[in-house]
Amino acid sequence: MLNSIRPNKRTILLYLFVPVLIFVFTVFYPLCRAVIYSFFEWKGGPNMTFNGLANYRMLFADKVFWQAFWHNIYLVVVCIIGQMGLAFILVMFANSRLTHAKAIHRTFGFFPSTISAVCIGMIWNIIYLQDGLLNTVLNRLGLITGNWMSWPNWLGTGNVMLAVSIPLVWQYIGYYMVIMFSAIAGIDSEIFESAEIDGANGFQKAVKITLPLIKNTILVCLTLCIAGNMKAFDNIYVMTQGGPGTASMVMAMYGYNTSFRDSNLGYGSTISVAIFVLSLAVIGGSQWLVKRTTKGVEA
Amino acid sequence: MSKRSAKAKKHLSPSARVGSILMDVALWVFSLTCIFPLIWMAYNSLKVKRVFNADKLSIPGLFGAPLPTLDNYTRILTNPDYHLFESMWNSVRTTGISILGIVLFSFIVGYMLARVKGKWNRPLYLMFLSGMLIPIHSLLVPIYVVFKEMNMTNQWFTLLLPYISFGMPMGIFLVEGYVKGIPVSLEEAAAIDGSSFSRSMWSIIMPMCKPILVTVAIIQVFSCWNEFSFALVLIENVHLQTIPLALTQFKGQFGSDYPKQMAAMLITMMPIVIIYFIFSKQIIQGMVAGAVKG
Repeated sequence: MLNSIRPNKRTILLYLFVPVLIFVFTVFYPLCRAVIYSFFEWKGGPNMTFNGLANYRMLFADKVFWQAFWHNIYLVVVCIIGQMGLAFILVMFANSRLTHAKAIHRTFGFFPSTISAVCIGMIWNIIYLQDGLLNTVLNRLGLITGNWMSWPNWLGTGNVMLAVSIPLVWQYIGYYMVIMFSAIAGIDSEIFESAEIDGANGFQKAVKITLPLIKNTILVCLTLCIAGNMKAFDNIYVMTQGGPGTASMVMAMYGYNTSFRDSNLGYGSTISVAIFVLSLAVIGGSQWLVKRTTKGVEA
Repeated sequence: MSKRSAKAKKHLSPSARVGSILMDVALWVFSLTCIFPLIWMAYNSLKVKRVFNADKLSIPGLFGAPLPTLDNYTRILTNPDYHLFESMWNSVRTTGISILGIVLFSFIVGYMLARVKGKWNRPLYLMFLSGMLIPIHSLLVPIYVVFKEMNMTNQWFTLLLPYISFGMPMGIFLVEGYVKGIPVSLEEAAAIDGSSFSRSMWSIIMPMCKPILVTVAIIQVFSCWNEFSFALVLIENVHLQTIPLALTQFKGQFGSDYPKQMAAMLITMMPIVIIYFIFSKQIIQGMVAGAVKG
């Protein structure tokens, strides 16, 4: 930019002051406070006692927290396979010359991702009721019989993690479909035509041509998927509150319970810091892993 | 495309024809599962609890099922304890002001980052970038403490600050990228004609950024309208609840009266559903642009 139209320092400051102040006040300042509180024993009252690394020692030994962490990882894995896998297959179908009504599939498929997670959770709760929609349908199909009291309890201890991950997967398939679809639309159609002439079938085209060409978009989806599931909270809060017991506890839910239900703000802050560190580590680690493995493929 | 596919269809081998039918079926099954819960809720909200409990699938008034009733709706809308319209107004106000703030600040910061170079550029850029990576749940406790200290919880403006802060980063990057695509010569020419820095920024570049600012607004409308965690922690006053918070409260109040829960959900979903089905093309494009570029 020309120096003559460069604004003076006062103008720059005037423009940036408010947004930077808001951002620092609601993001960085609290984050620093969380780090400080994480070294204190504090139940929310006036008494705060410094206890060094005791909270962190407690955290490392806290079975529930690590169970919650692995539940987050479980959600990440299920959602990567379920959301991105299904989305890719469906996009391949929709992208085929042989299928119709792409616009309708796109509009309908994307719809759930615009609804609040709270609504989605409440709807699926009604679906999962012991005499709810799912069991009723299974009963009509003859797959389960007898009195509804004997029908499966989907949100029971054994299968609750799978049950809570299905709404998550379902909600965002359409979202990833649309992202992949727009990436594929950018591929030159001549590539596919010449592959067809060479006798490539639909599966080969999908795996050998489309997948490598939209690699960057897949990476974006992967990052979104991991980041989204490391912070899973709303669905779980509405559907199970982490229960039964701690069978569907995730990190954010555990942090919320510790801090606000048990008002243990000191240890809650330690959990907050741990959520921060672990989420970044998982996101960073997965990116590093993907880059490392794909480098070899390219070379 | 449709012409080509019609032509292709005529010359299909039997196996390809079966394949195409199977693919169509798979897509329709998926699309219908996405929309079915909405339809199922819509017709079940017209049943009273007793009828719903007896049969979860039957459509009211058809095949001998009891007639549809608006009972749930009248009971929800006339009972002041549920203050549904109050919650909707809170959501509309919070979302509206947050969007204005996000769009305005994203434009200012994005423009400055793209056009005014200085030592502060990189730190500022990294600072806002980090905002996209910080998991909001690691901020719930400290934000609650900080806001409580300053008596800023349970105010009409409480939620604006976190919503604007977490909406800004993506907006800033979208605007920054967009402004970089506009030739600087535009502002240079304006400067020669005597336009000040601010005037060029607001009356030349801002109108040109309209498409990207609309994209930012679309993405943030949904995330603000649906946001739950901050509202849960920072708002205790029932008269300031936003919709997601009010819904979780209904869930407790209505107990096992599921048709009533569905009616409440449908009323609160209506604005979003209507907007979505009218503008679905623009909304989908905007959300995707945000996800990929942000």
